[in-house]
Amino acid sequence: MNREMQIILEIDNQAEIFYPDAEKLGDHAATAIKKDHRAQLTSLETIAESTNKISDVFDYIKKQTARNASWREPHRDSPNEGFGIRLKKYLETDLKERSNRICQEPLRIGDTSDEGKRERRRIHLLLIRQFIRQMVVQYEYKVNVAETENKIANQARNAQRTPERRGGR
Amino acid sequence: MRKERRKEEGAVNSMLSHKHLQKIELLSDTILYPEAVAFVRRMIQKERCKPLPATQVNGLLNIALTLKYDDARRFVEHQRERNWPSNKRDIKTFYTHLEKELTRLEQRLHTEFALTKDERGRRVSAEDEQEMLGLLFREYVQHLLAENMLAEAERRTQPGPYRR
Repeated sequence: MNREMQIILEIDNQAEIFYPDAEKLGDHAATAIKKDHRAQLTSLETIAESTNKISDVFDYIKKQTARNASWREPHRDSPNEGFGIRLKKYLETDLKERSNRICQEPLRIGDTSDEGKRERRRIHLLLIRQFIRQMVVQYEYKVNVAETENKIANQARNAQRTPERRGGR
Repeated sequence: MRKERRKEEGAVNSMLSHKHLQKIELLSDTILYPEAVAFVRRMIQKERCKPLPATQVNGLLNIALTLKYDDARRFVEHQRERNWPSNKRDIKTFYTHLEKELTRLEQRLHTEFALTKDERGRRVSAEDEQEMLGLLFREYVQHLLAENMLAEAERRTQPGPYRR
């Protein structure tokens, strides 16, 4: 099998495995960041897709966490840790470990030469991109579902009020 | 005259190669990022400094983004030498330590980073060395700024590694 194909397949396999974690972070993002600040998450996705450096992604998360209280909001799944720090830790630690594991076996990428280090870093970045994509999709789904549910609840509330008003006349 | 002297020394007069730029990106992720994080933590936890004020950090970033390395270094020296009022002594401490980091960066360009030779083993020009130092400094300052901002937010709002 072609080398690049092997890498893509391995990244896809890993993406299947960490999908539930991306969903959890997406739910946390939806609760904390809400729909009005959607651009903050789509910008994160854009940075992850366009950069060659994983540190650019971490720097962006840190800056957003410092600037916006919403990025520091905890969640029922993560009562002691805000969204930004939780996300940074996951990308920096969990995905790094996952990346190291697959680079060792089955990809067999060394970590001593510059070429090996560069390739390992690329694999880590590919995992980060997959994770952020999945997380943003879950975030979009969650905020839009919440909005629809709110609309339905409002309609129901209004429908209940209307007969009362009529009856009062 | 200067060009001729560099030719005599075997220096190459060229722009930075793709390989050099790739190496700088790698160093940014693997060395400079963790070192910038460690630097900010050391300043706060060991030196008992407050995070650098936003005005200072933004000023430093502007310098790193716009000036050549030599001028950026002079700026750091100038900030370190300034007679800061007692309520701003932390800034002097910060620049004193930052200057040491720059000296270490300059030394490592030749040794650990091995950036002073081209693909054929020839020495790169002094201008290229300056440009590489400028790029490394820029990367370092960007990581420093992000960590400093996070430290300041954590200090103000919630428990974390920066809470004193």
